[in-house]
Amino acid sequence: MQVFGIRYRNTQGTLMRILNAVSRRGIDLPYVQATPAEHSHTVTLLLEVGPKQTGQLRRDWQAIVDVTEVRVGSRLTAMAKPAPNWTPAYPPVSAGGGIEAARTASA
Amino acid sequence: MPRGAEIVLGCLRAEGVDLAFGYPGGAIMPLYDALEGSGIRHILTRHEQGAVFAAEGYARATGKVGVAIATSGPGATNLVTGIADAKMDSVPLVTITGQVRSALLGTDAFQETDVFGLTLSLTKWSRLVRSIEEIPAVVAEAFYWARSGRPGPVVIDITSDALKANMDFAGPVKFQPPARPEAHLRDGFPAAVIALLETAKRPVALVGAGVKLARAIEQLRELLDQLRIPTMATVHGLGAVPAEAPYYLGMVGMHGTRAANLALDESDLLLVFGARLDDRVTGEPTRFAPHARIVHFEIDPAQLDRARTCDLAVIGDLAETVPAFSNAVRRVSLPDWRGWKAIAEGPERAETDPRGLAQPTVRLLDELYRRLPENSVVVADVGQHQMWAAQRYRASAPRGFITSGGLGAMGFALPAAIGIQLARPDTTVLSISGDGGFQINVQELATVRRLGLPIKMVIIDNKYLGMVRQWQQLFYKRNYAETDLSDNPDFVAIAQAYRIHGERLGEDSMREVPLGGEAASLLDRFLRSPEPELLTFDCHPEANVYPMVPAGAALSEMVFEE
Repeated sequence: MQVFGIRYRNTQGTLMRILNAVSRRGIDLPYVQATPAEHSHTVTLLLEVGPKQTGQLRRDWQAIVDVTEVRVGSRLTAMAKPAPNWTPAYPPVSAGGGIEAARTASA
Repeated sequence: MPRGAEIVLGCLRAEGVDLAFGYPGGAIMPLYDALEGSGIRHILTRHEQGAVFAAEGYARATGKVGVAIATSGPGATNLVTGIADAKMDSVPLVTITGQVRSALLGTDAFQETDVFGLTLSLTKWSRLVRSIEEIPAVVAEAFYWARSGRPGPVVIDITSDALKANMDFAGPVKFQPPARPEAHLRDGFPAAVIALLETAKRPVALVGAGVKLARAIEQLRELLDQLRIPTMATVHGLGAVPAEAPYYLGMVGMHGTRAANLALDESDLLLVFGARLDDRVTGEPTRFAPHARIVHFEIDPAQLDRARTCDLAVIGDLAETVPAFSNAVRRVSLPDWRGWKAIAEGPERAETDPRGLAQPTVRLLDELYRRLPENSVVVADVGQHQMWAAQRYRASAPRGFITSGGLGAMGFALPAAIGIQLARPDTTVLSISGDGGFQINVQELATVRRLGLPIKMVIIDNKYLGMVRQWQQLFYKRNYAETDLSDNPDFVAIAQAYRIHGERLGEDSMREVPLGGEAASLLDRFLRSPEPELLTFDCHPEANVYPMVPAGAALSEMVFEE
């Protein structure tokens, strides 16, 4: 798992463009958190990607007009667990399932 | 006080727009109501896709921003293919769509679609405008992003109440781009590239559309004249390098020349100038240029490393990086690559002349090209005829060969030709389509007729969706599933229904050596006519485009027959 921190001006659609760069590659989004930060916003993503995809994503994000900074952090595993009370909408999972079970179900 | 619609048009004029293509409808009616006297000429096409392709043609032929206008809902969704096409091929395009009034947003109102949402992944930038006050700043910003860096499409979706409202208008504003982290050239450029050149034994250069977009053609030609290394072009790079240049090997890629594909495959250093390196250029990406180190000159960092990781990225405007490199090259003594050039350009690698079933069609293209005045524009649709047209193209007009390359959108050529002809009224515009693609936007014959545009339209009629049929023949055991168009209409009669003169030419006419007087006269008359003309040519149903790199194969594995 790789953690990405992206700072952006919170203009129309910028967050969606950031997320779309991930979804168009068929990469799951197990963890997303967007928060206001000073005069801009920051979104933190945790993704299962290799080095080549990391580079491509970083450059795609940097090409988005209102993205101001992209940081690639160290690999984290703890954050991969879904937040409490959070269940992926699709595919449906049992109460005790969690994200790994969801992946298995969709494989 | 002016209405929002008038402010939109005033802002467009301030951006230099004097021509727009569109199709009216409910939500955009206020804009159309304000058109007269705005200083903007509006071209009514017969479908919104025709409008957006025409705007693209205008932009591709001039380098200016193309403008397409449509209403909400189906009008906007009909623009989507053109928006995607502009994104893929880096075409500066502003699309303006009407939207339901702001109070109805999100209610599934009549002709409401989420245009902003559905075009997010296809645009460089977009805005949903809900109030009149936003209009001046949004239009200014839209044009800035459409033009800047790697050009591309933007969408302005404006609610009808914003178009109808009134406000004091102090005049168009200028967009001040926010500070952005700039990509920096790697330390040591251009020395690092020269160091790679000095040790290279088999260097090659690959030229893409970016050189044209950056208006760096002359600088690049100067550089290549110094390097004199084997050089090839992508389909969008055609014309950037003179075909008669002694180092030019032709088009590279799936239907590239034997010499270009083999040289690239054997190279040990690849200099890429403004090309995305998509899979139609690279063949199987993991086997692309397997022995080469890659230096990628590119303005858009997002285009790097898509096929293979490059060894050195030279990020920046090619109008600056190419001359900088050229100046540096002038000061050093580079190795002698004559031995490598002799191999790469050797007679055994001469361009394959596609004989057999395709020969009459290829001959027709050669005969047409030979008769075209200098600086003519060829616009090709998508399919087999597109690749034949690209393979045979020899002119060196920078914006002389236009096609839908990245998206491969059938139906592109005819409406694009309208935009091109309007942009360059004194230029001969030759539109080449297949029988399938021509029917996708055939309704634009009405636009051609209304405007009296002297476009020369050629239909290569093989009574199939030819490129799909070729793949079915080669890779699906000749299962020609749903590609048969043998019940095509009479295209000459269709042209006549639109009051356009049409003629038919059989393929036997292109077997005569020298060309028979009747066929020669017909082609002369066709190209010299001051009126729109249509020529339909009977192509053999099973003519194929060769060479061909099969899907998943390396460039070196091109095939020349079934």
